[in-house]
Amino acid sequence: MAGTRTRRVAGSEQSRTARAAALAEELHHECTLLLELYRKKETFAEELTVGGERLVTVPPLSSQLSPNDRLWRLYSALQQCRNLLERAIGLEEGVGNGGDRAQYESQRKTVRDRLGHLLASTRLLLEDRAGTAAFTPDPKNTETASPVNGSPFALKLWIYRIFSELEHWTLTTSRTLKALHPDGATPKESRTRGRPRGRRTRR
Amino acid sequence: MPSLFFCILLLGLRVTESQASGLAPPQQVRLDADKETQTLSVTWEDGHASTFDVEILRTELMEMVLNETVGVTEDQSTGKHQWNWTSPVPLECTSLSVKVRSRDGQDVSEWSSQQILPGLDLPDNTDSQMYPEGKTVPVGSNMTFCCIVEEGQQFGSLWYKDTLVKENMLSRRTYATTMTNQGPSNPSGTNVVCSNEKKMIIAGAVVFVGYPPLPSDLVCETHDLTSVDCQWSKGRDTYLFGMTRQTYYTLNGRNCPKARNSNMRCGLEQWDGNWTLVARNLLGEFRLTDAAELGHRVRPVAPVNLTTPEVYSWNASVGWLWKDKGFERLSLICQVQRTSHLNSSTQTYTGYGLNTVVLKDLQPDEKYSVKVRCGSQKNFWKWGEWSLPLSFQTKMDRSVAPDIWLWMDSDNLGRVLWKPLTKSESHGQISGYEVILWSPEENSQQTLTLPQSVYSLPINVTDLGSKVTVTVTARNPAGVSLPANVVIPRYLPDAEDTAISKVAFNGSGFPLSWVAHANASCGYVVDWYNTSCTQDCNVEWTRVAADNTNTMVQSGNFFAGVRYTFSLYACSSESTVLLERWHGYMQELVPSRTVLRLSPNQEGADVQLTWDQIPLEHQRGFILGYTVYLTNASHLTLLANITDPQLTNHTVRNLVLGSYKFTVKAYTAAGEDGGATVSISLEPYTYWLIMEILVALGTMTCLLIVITIACYRKRKWVKKAFYPEIPEPKLPGDWGITQGTLDVKPSPHSMVHIVEDSVWDSSKEALVTVPEEDEEGTGDEAADTDEPASLRYYNQVVEEGSSSQRRPHASDSSASSTGSMDSGHTDVTYTGIQTSACSLAPMAHFQPQPDASQCVGGGGYRPQMQSASCPEEPQTGPEEHLQPPVGSFGGYQPQCSWKQDSPEADGDGLDQTCLGSPTSVTSSQFLLPYDTSEEGKEHPSSASTWFHNLLTGKP
Repeated sequence: MAGTRTRRVAGSEQSRTARAAALAEELHHECTLLLELYRKKETFAEELTVGGERLVTVPPLSSQLSPNDRLWRLYSALQQCRNLLERAIGLEEGVGNGGDRAQYESQRKTVRDRLGHLLASTRLLLEDRAGTAAFTPDPKNTETASPVNGSPFALKLWIYRIFSELEHWTLTTSRTLKALHPDGATPKESRTRGRPRGRRTRR
Repeated sequence: MPSLFFCILLLGLRVTESQASGLAPPQQVRLDADKETQTLSVTWEDGHASTFDVEILRTELMEMVLNETVGVTEDQSTGKHQWNWTSPVPLECTSLSVKVRSRDGQDVSEWSSQQILPGLDLPDNTDSQMYPEGKTVPVGSNMTFCCIVEEGQQFGSLWYKDTLVKENMLSRRTYATTMTNQGPSNPSGTNVVCSNEKKMIIAGAVVFVGYPPLPSDLVCETHDLTSVDCQWSKGRDTYLFGMTRQTYYTLNGRNCPKARNSNMRCGLEQWDGNWTLVARNLLGEFRLTDAAELGHRVRPVAPVNLTTPEVYSWNASVGWLWKDKGFERLSLICQVQRTSHLNSSTQTYTGYGLNTVVLKDLQPDEKYSVKVRCGSQKNFWKWGEWSLPLSFQTKMDRSVAPDIWLWMDSDNLGRVLWKPLTKSESHGQISGYEVILWSPEENSQQTLTLPQSVYSLPINVTDLGSKVTVTVTARNPAGVSLPANVVIPRYLPDAEDTAISKVAFNGSGFPLSWVAHANASCGYVVDWYNTSCTQDCNVEWTRVAADNTNTMVQSGNFFAGVRYTFSLYACSSESTVLLERWHGYMQELVPSRTVLRLSPNQEGADVQLTWDQIPLEHQRGFILGYTVYLTNASHLTLLANITDPQLTNHTVRNLVLGSYKFTVKAYTAAGEDGGATVSISLEPYTYWLIMEILVALGTMTCLLIVITIACYRKRKWVKKAFYPEIPEPKLPGDWGITQGTLDVKPSPHSMVHIVEDSVWDSSKEALVTVPEEDEEGTGDEAADTDEPASLRYYNQVVEEGSSSQRRPHASDSSASSTGSMDSGHTDVTYTGIQTSACSLAPMAHFQPQPDASQCVGGGGYRPQMQSASCPEEPQTGPEEHLQPPVGSFGGYQPQCSWKQDSPEADGDGLDQTCLGSPTSVTSSQFLLPYDTSEEGKEHPSSASTWFHNLLTGKP
């Protein structure tokens, strides 16, 4: 019985991993689109890149780490991304919202919502592996940097970097979750199931 | 030691120069920078001059920025000089060195000690930076931006928005670019970005380029007769957004926090009479003012609690309340807008504290929605807000009289038609119709009740007399409508009594006009229908007022290519009279089919084409005519254009033999139809051949007549040429006959009888002339009559040599009968032949009258084969007859002598084949002069005698 239960749990976890991977892949696509929309909105030249230190900092995702530890670090990075995104949205509202920004704001909302779903999915995976009792509350990263001098350009650049971080970490999450999945790739059925779920939630 | 000396020398020279100019250099030069405004303030002391030279250099590269002579007066209170300079380049970009010297004309003092305004590109400030950051400037301004590269990094490029711009090096780490005439920014400002050599963004700045506020049209009013509400237009867009850059408004010093975006309004609790609006942003401010009395700016709030105390069929009353009591004492003007499914209309009412109005001219059984707004009647300013709408429904009423018409199919049969009542006409749900036919003459009436869905009724007025009136009424819950009457018009089909003209569609309808008719007391009716329709036609009609003599017939049921008949009736209570008719097409099309029964008919070298007209429903336009083509393969050659549409035939003339194909097309204003084609192959004309023969015969006949006439007229010459006088026969003895002119009188009756072998006897081998008298009796009998002797000839071969063995009765004609020798078995009896005088010689012998003398007188000529002695011995024996009096024929011989080539001549000799005189009855051979040596061989024929008589003009 115990063995059967273990297999059932393992099968469920694999399915969740696949769904989370699909969601991460989809979110990465949305983040790429958001970054592009923001670049165009702020007329940053296409040739230029954003430098500086990373805003999201977690220990390296070494291949030596256990899957659980890697998930923990990913979860932490995504949490930081979400905090940064929330702050960016708040600060950006103060800059002014004239002009035609409907598409950008819609995309930004999509990313925020799906990031929440990815975090929830990742949290479920962590619970599967570590058990509910072992799960700790959301790591509130209070060290997220913000533009200190209030310069408009610094704020823009900071938001640009946040979106870049989002793009980076959703890609990393997608790849890591795919790696964690036994097949090493997202099953088709998982992909098809993942998309409508996100849309339902959005509504 | 030498160096010390040199220093002392230099010091001595300087002292000498200062003492020489007399101007002391400025002391305690001090620099103060306002980096926000990029203003450098230079102050100094001990400068007693009023003119100074100022020199500013970029410290690091020692590039001259400014070298200017300025006039600066001493501040008497502080004893200092102050000069301000606005740098085009942000003061943070790089360090500036400033020195000043006094100037008095051409005399200048020594330079003051150099003061340095340190920039932010100093080594101890290692970060990348860009200036100015977050500045707000007007549209069109010029700005210089500088990028201070992080210590140890390599400068890459500068970008304005997403455009690479050219930079200028200000110091080791500072690069600048100047943008001129900047355009408006987007909401988050315009980015200026500095990147390193790896195209990584290392610094940047945002500039907000926009306009100062420019509002307009400040207007203040009151809605409640107490407070004030001011509104204005936002005016030009400032392009500046965000908490710090947006435009803020104050009204009489009070903030207007609700004045955002497009909602430009601000209110105050009390009416002040004067208002000032100030609009302000980082680039400037703008003021607007307004002033007015309260009574001039009343715009009432919307009335509330609308009600309908009374509602009837045609009117209703509407009431409302005012929230503010002040309006109950104000003279008001109010608009009430009522909306039904038909239309929307607005009516205006006035009154002191108006709160109730009566709505008139409503429609029965109609749903209405009303709303009210008001304004001050005195010093009207603006209409107030509309109230909330109120709905109600009027009561029902009797419907209007139906619009009826009559459509007669014949004198007695027809249909009563009426139009369905619209909602605005029915005044309630129609439950049915009642139709009454009554005749005042017959004093009879028929009444029929019909359901609401029936709009026509077939009628038969056979038994109702000549003047029948139809009445139709409609019934609804409110009662019966007024009656609609019409007198049945006389049935008049097309082409009877009334002229029909054409009417053209003008895009919106058929314009009809007519001459006013005296008996049109209740106006005119124009009805129309599809002309092709024969039964149960869809008839439409319209009514025209009596004082109108034209109308535009419009209908949604007009179709292209359909002919419509429009009839105009004058309507009165006594009669309905047809006045005029028109035919018209909404749009003419080409005929939908070709002419019918096209057939060719050859008439000699002509071909007549006939056809029938296209049926009306297929004409689809007024047929203007026909075109006739000769079809050659696919090519059509126009032969004729028949412009008379009634003409349905055409003759193509002068065609040569061959096959032809003709195409006939009818055409309308829209063009030709497809064309009907017919073929015909022209054949030789047989009548023509007959005609040619007849003409030839006629011509020959005429020719013969002409010749005959010519011969007759020239008979003497002809006689002389062809029939000269026969010399006197030389008789052997004296005949005792008086010599004279031979007058031959042909017997009036000469008959030829063909006798069937009556006297044929095989023993007879020659024709024997048997005078009738021989059969009848003696020659006395013959002498008693004037009847010409009938000669009977028998088939016999006349042989000169054997003739002597013939019967004694073998007359002179026996020889002539040899003409029938070929018909050896047929007895031919010639009767009534005008025998020559000689042939009658035996008779003459018994009748010695002038005829006999004539015969004798003709002794110069003897018929062929006749014995010359016949006058003497008519009854003599054959011996005498058979002795031919050779040479007694006056030198003539019969034509048989010409037939020497005949086969008979070969066998029996010329003498045996010589034909007797009777043959000459149909012979045209002339008796030619004969050689005297042969005279005895031939006898002249009686026909020759006749011809001779003809030529000589004797009877």
